[in-house]
Amino acid sequence: MSIPMELYLPIAGNSVNIAAVFGLGGAVGLLSGIFGVGGGFLMTPLLIMMGIPPTIAAATDANQIVGASTSGTLAHLRLGNVDVKMGFLLLIGGVLGGTVGVEIIKILRQMGNADFLINITYVLMLGLVGGYMFVESLQSMRKAKASQPQDPARHSKASAFARFSASLPWQMDFTRSGVRMSPLLPLFLGTMVGVLSAIMGVGGGFIMVPVMVYLLRMPMHVVVGTSLFQILFTCVNVTVMQSISNHTVDFILALILLVGSSLGAQIGAKIGKKMHGDQLKILLASLVLVMMFKILYQLLATPDILLAQVGGH
Amino acid sequence: MKRTILLLLLVLALSLVGPVLAQSADFTLSPSEINIGTLYNGATLAVQGSVPEGSQVVVRFIGSPEEMVMKQKGKALGLLWMNMNTLHFSGVPTVCLVDSSAPLDGLGALGASLSLDGLAQGIHVAPSSPADQDLVAEMLKLKRSEGLYRQSSGGVTLGQVQDGQQAFQLALAVPSRLSAGTYSVEVLAMKDGQVAARAVKPVEAHLTGIPSFLADLAFNHAIWYGVLSAILAILGGLAIGLVFQSKEAH
Repeated sequence: MSIPMELYLPIAGNSVNIAAVFGLGGAVGLLSGIFGVGGGFLMTPLLIMMGIPPTIAAATDANQIVGASTSGTLAHLRLGNVDVKMGFLLLIGGVLGGTVGVEIIKILRQMGNADFLINITYVLMLGLVGGYMFVESLQSMRKAKASQPQDPARHSKASAFARFSASLPWQMDFTRSGVRMSPLLPLFLGTMVGVLSAIMGVGGGFIMVPVMVYLLRMPMHVVVGTSLFQILFTCVNVTVMQSISNHTVDFILALILLVGSSLGAQIGAKIGKKMHGDQLKILLASLVLVMMFKILYQLLATPDILLAQVGGH
Repeated sequence: MKRTILLLLLVLALSLVGPVLAQSADFTLSPSEINIGTLYNGATLAVQGSVPEGSQVVVRFIGSPEEMVMKQKGKALGLLWMNMNTLHFSGVPTVCLVDSSAPLDGLGALGASLSLDGLAQGIHVAPSSPADQDLVAEMLKLKRSEGLYRQSSGGVTLGQVQDGQQAFQLALAVPSRLSAGTYSVEVLAMKDGQVAARAVKPVEAHLTGIPSFLADLAFNHAIWYGVLSAILAILGGLAIGLVFQSKEAH
């Protein structure tokens, strides 16, 4: 074949098949466009399988997500799905929380066995969030069929939380999301997600999306757009920081991935628009549960090689 | 850097020792250096030379020994596999490719010491424990799975005999997972369970073209590299987003 299909990656120190990387980017971008998550949990392990060292796979993925979430945010902006004010509040919280989380991780590592705690947190969080979303959206889909459509995000336990939310100072309108609340709430929740995602070493999309749906009561479509908007900033930060401190961003790899994933994200945003909010939620819940079982399996099955490289997550 | 110098000294010393032996081994490499360009996907080195008559030939391609920090996987609570202790491995060659004209198992104790399993003796684990042997074996397994350690036999073909010297050749396949640095190719002539002759030559792997430019930027101008990576990713995402918009407009 005259067209070169293999490309050498100077930072990763290996060569990869362009078509395979492009396809991988496209598939993950599609998911990211539909659900408003970064997709790092899929991309990073697959890159490692292709022979990319774990630390480089994770950092390069962040660089790639910058491109994919730019494209996704643009698509969602056009569809009127991005609540910029809400996004910024969550982002500020996320940065604060991330800083706190990194310090917590340092202390945990000094105490030893941090990885154990991280993995358990992972499985519990994912199981909880995925299971809850799954059951909740299944119920509201049934309800919608049985009687006239209700607001799917409303459920009985909310009243105490809603009263607490209403009692906070500086109430303001978030027109895109159609909610009224104090800016302290998204700021606080953003911080919590930031702490958790720093501890778990993930972008946080998987936790942020359910938080926006169930605690901030935003409509699912706006949640997806706003989540992508926020992920964009988080990943710019990660890309620059990783480049400076660890030299682990492989731009060539990121570039091929991002062309694939930006295309995927555009198509994903359109598919998402055609789907009902509950359908989106139940699919995302399934994805979260699949991921939980994958990690659980890794914890239970005997690994092929009893050594792991440091830094891969 | 220190290790590279040591390696070069070793190579030099060995190449000086070579001719002293009664019968000599000599070989040529083509190409004599590896250029890692944009389209690099592994390389094939043609190794050709001669060894004393009646000996078997072992060829090794070895990278400089390095230190590796790994996590040992173990069972927590007797059930869950976790990354547990941090282990420091030293003396682990980055790459080790071994090929020979006859199976190494048939070449006696010396043959075994030249095999991949023979590398285990040079690898040390800290903190030391009774399980060291197993841990080193796991390291060899990891390196094999990455394609960086490889052992085969029969790749070296023996040719004509002339003036007591036997010709040999090998097409040595160097993996695509290669970093820039100094490697060495070692040819050993094995006869009656002993090394009859030996020759070593260094091989430089250089980054050229775009990989060289990017590696320089990433390691020497990290801030620029990071910022540019982020900006270009944003521009890429925007460009694709706009392409889609213009398609919709039609």
